[in-house]
Amino acid sequence: MNLIHSLIPSFSRAPVVAQGHDEKDLGPTVQPRYEIKETDEAFGLTVTLPGVTKDNLEITAEGESLRIVGKRSWSRPDDWSVIYRETTDATYLLEIDHDNAVDTEKVHAELRDGILRLSLPKAEEIKPRRIEIA
Amino acid sequence: MRYIRYNYPTRRSLPVAAFGRGAWNGLESEIDRLFNAALAGTQNAAAAGRFPVDAYQDTNNVYVRAELPGFKRDAINVEVVDGYLTLEASREAEGEKGQTKAKVNRSIALPEDVQTEGVSAAYVDGVLTVTLPKKEEAKPRKISVAVK
Repeated sequence: MNLIHSLIPSFSRAPVVAQGHDEKDLGPTVQPRYEIKETDEAFGLTVTLPGVTKDNLEITAEGESLRIVGKRSWSRPDDWSVIYRETTDATYLLEIDHDNAVDTEKVHAELRDGILRLSLPKAEEIKPRRIEIA
Repeated sequence: MRYIRYNYPTRRSLPVAAFGRGAWNGLESEIDRLFNAALAGTQNAAAAGRFPVDAYQDTNNVYVRAELPGFKRDAINVEVVDGYLTLEASREAEGEKGQTKAKVNRSIALPEDVQTEGVSAAYVDGVLTVTLPKKEEAKPRKISVAVK
């Protein structure tokens, strides 16, 4: 959807029913590469966010979704001119729906060298459990 | 291999809830899913040993910035050979078959006015910045002539 929004800006206008988030202040966004692994206890989310520092990273858990916004901390000094570019300055935005399968109170996050590692413990309700037979 | 995830019927997918939700919401996630599927191949570019690189210059230096998230400093190798800048990085990755070594590398042709001495590199927040000083004769010079 971010791609469509960047190609056709009028698409990003909120439809009649208000959307949960206001994305106008973010400017162009790009979805970072990410990976989700699952164990019995938790989901592990790894997001690559090169150029993002702790202060520029915002993780919000709201309702049934998790939202990660990473702004780039580095900006080109005025006297540097571009020879060649492959990267973009767009803000990273990743939204993941978890359908309440995650206990958002116990989320643990760690950012190191441009890699964000999130541990999302599963909600008690969906953890596998053994049922004793009486 | 891709999975299309099974979604448990939640409050959101129940027809009653549809009144409260925009007609766009379902379409949006469907479009997201299609785009993600279509772009899945391109997103693996990094896994294929490539990473994006930028080049900048100012009056004294040429700067090369590369996005290399998640590497240790001593696993990054920067070399200047025959007018080419070679960036190489490796890391131990946990694959399905235990520990595997992932290696990425890239060579960039340098402009002619770059000096091979005095090259420095810094790795901050997953971004490697290599600073290459320009040759003295390539720098703009200001000569003041005394007028008698």
